[in-house]
Amino acid sequence: MNDLDVRAYVYDVTMQSGRAPSIAEIARHFDAAGADVAESLQRIAAGRALVLQRSSSEILMVPPFSAIVTPFAVQSGGVSYYGNCIWDALGVPAMLRRDAEIRTSCGDCGTEMNVRVENGEVHGDGLIHFALPPTQWWNDVVFT
Amino acid sequence: MLYFRSEEDIDRWCKAWNMTRGGVMTLEQGWRLALAWYSPDRRAPEWRRRTIDEVEEVFGEIGLISPFWSLK
Repeated sequence: MNDLDVRAYVYDVTMQSGRAPSIAEIARHFDAAGADVAESLQRIAAGRALVLQRSSSEILMVPPFSAIVTPFAVQSGGVSYYGNCIWDALGVPAMLRRDAEIRTSCGDCGTEMNVRVENGEVHGDGLIHFALPPTQWWNDVVFT
Repeated sequence: MLYFRSEEDIDRWCKAWNMTRGGVMTLEQGWRLALAWYSPDRRAPEWRRRTIDEVEEVFGEIGLISPFWSLK
């Protein structure tokens, strides 16, 4: 088991199920020790390919997927996913190369806003606001 | 990155949260950025993050050319 194997497995599980695997699940898959998996995840996260939970070292983000519920729900191919933000919600069908429905709401007034991706085209009426410039995205990626 | 109904909603949100207005893009630009960013298969061993020059090239292709999007 090397870091590339772990990264591929994490993405494979998340893309298929919409759910990020736990350290214990990854360890079972590779017949490896949990501590070794945790160290591998730390190295992958240091390379900014994953984001881990601060308290437990479990996976928080498998960009563009969120391992926890967010206000950016995505349905695609009969599977429920969550994006980390509206850009990542768009990233889900981009990565899966499938049609998708994104259910979210206006960041200001809370009005329901849906976005549809169909046959490679996006349909919706809103605007995307990036509060931070890209030079600051990784200063606090959870806030970003 | 949040999604808003209108420019006015963005301005109200920035005021409410005491945030300076950042970068705004259309949904179409966001989709193109998502395609450029997330289409490459991250399960592949050869996948790697883009260099700063490569990211700026993607931004330029999508029309994100204001100083807000500069990486240097």
